Amino acid sequence: MKSSSSSPTIKSKLLSLFIHLLPSSIRIVFSSILYISLAAAITAGFWIIFNVFEQLLFFWPVWVFYLPEDAIISFILTNISAVLMGILVSMNVYVIKHFKLQISKSSLFSGTGLSILSSTCVSCSSIGFLLISTFGGLGIVVSNFLSIYQIPLRLLSIAILLFALYSVHTRITKDCMVEYNNKSMST
Amino acid sequence: MLKQQRKLLQRKKLNETIFNVAKTASFVMVLSYMIVISFPSAPFSILNMKTNNYYVFASILEKQEEQAVKNNLSLSNLLQQGSPYLGNPSSAPITIIDFSDFQCYLCARYVKATEPLINQTYIQTDKVVLVFKHLPNRGFDSMNPAIAAQCTNDQGSFWDFHQLLYKNQKPIDSGWVSKENLKKFAAKIPELDMDKFNSCFDNQKYKSFVEKDVALASSLGFQETPSFVIVNSKDGSNPEILNGAHPFASFKAIIDKKLTEVENSSK
Repeated sequence: MKSSSSSPTIKSKLLSLFIHLLPSSIRIVFSSILYISLAAAITAGFWIIFNVFEQLLFFWPVWVFYLPEDAIISFILTNISAVLMGILVSMNVYVIKHFKLQISKSSLFSGTGLSILSSTCVSCSSIGFLLISTFGGLGIVVSNFLSIYQIPLRLLSIAILLFALYSVHTRITKDCMVEYNNKSMST
Repeated sequence: MLKQQRKLLQRKKLNETIFNVAKTASFVMVLSYMIVISFPSAPFSILNMKTNNYYVFASILEKQEEQAVKNNLSLSNLLQQGSPYLGNPSSAPITIIDFSDFQCYLCARYVKATEPLINQTYIQTDKVVLVFKHLPNRGFDSMNPAIAAQCTNDQGSFWDFHQLLYKNQKPIDSGWVSKENLKKFAAKIPELDMDKFNSCFDNQKYKSFVEKDVALASSLGFQETPSFVIVNSKDGSNPEILNGAHPFASFKAIIDKKLTEVENSSK
């Protein structure tokens, strides 16, 4: 009869199954606590930024977070964006550190830019008046467009972030560097 | 082999082009975002943050509060101007002045999530009066609902109309507040005399009134809707400003503090 301590529990089995289901690049990068911490910090940072822009998180007159009904979908999408941002930045840092490869800045920053921009404009085009005073009628049109299409914009930013993640994943799993040792070649 | 190489080259070029376009677009977006938050007058400007006990680059808020005192925001003055109000003006020591636009999505959030709690906790208990001021700056169509709402105020139906518009709010400038639609909304209020309303609305009776509200908001430095000034009803003193669709907890913190101050000063 086997002892219960030696056999893997259902919890650990599920955990190992979950880990095996993760893409290999994520398993490689997040095997280190450093990258997990980095991803968590970046996710937390973006979560705060997004929720402040969306007027769900306030620091004055009291620290308060609230989630009204109309903001639930946006909140879910911004959470996804924040988590993806954390993972993406950590993976890009890993790539820079270990592979000495050029990271796809366009994928990283277009995703980031869109996430931030769509979140900024969520707040009822709160920058509307600023845009109006700066750009006149065009400002209203732009701010209205961004506030009306906030959900599609968020989805687009998530799609770009996923594309960026896929691009980093392929770099980690497929690319390799060949370092020529000139001295050894000459001998 | 040559064909394959060409295809590979073409793919590479296409990828490079896509990346370059994305890079430029992202650069422009991040740059514009940086410009927006570095504007001192921007609602989310990094220069415009206020913390619990001290101001961090909060000269704008200080100026807004100074302006609020200069503008005489006493309740008697606001009522004399003809602004719609909710509550008992004879006994409420605190006044909340709400600057909103009927097309504003965050104003609708405030009306649905926060205003009922303020009403239940402070207005029904005669502690606070809520005064509405128009700040129609969200879209090209924002002026009409403000004028129409002011016309309903003539017949004491402002708050019914106000609720009706926020309940049926549609995307900005999508035509939902066209003159015809506003008349349809007004017709849903049973107590409203439509002839009087139509005459008031068609003649744009309250256009200059709304423009005065906009000028007041502008003098206070308000660019964002909803924006709130919370003052002592008696003389409009001790103004506190809230920018944005704050939750009930924010209002509660300020109102409770003010009520304690009023109580202490009356002792």
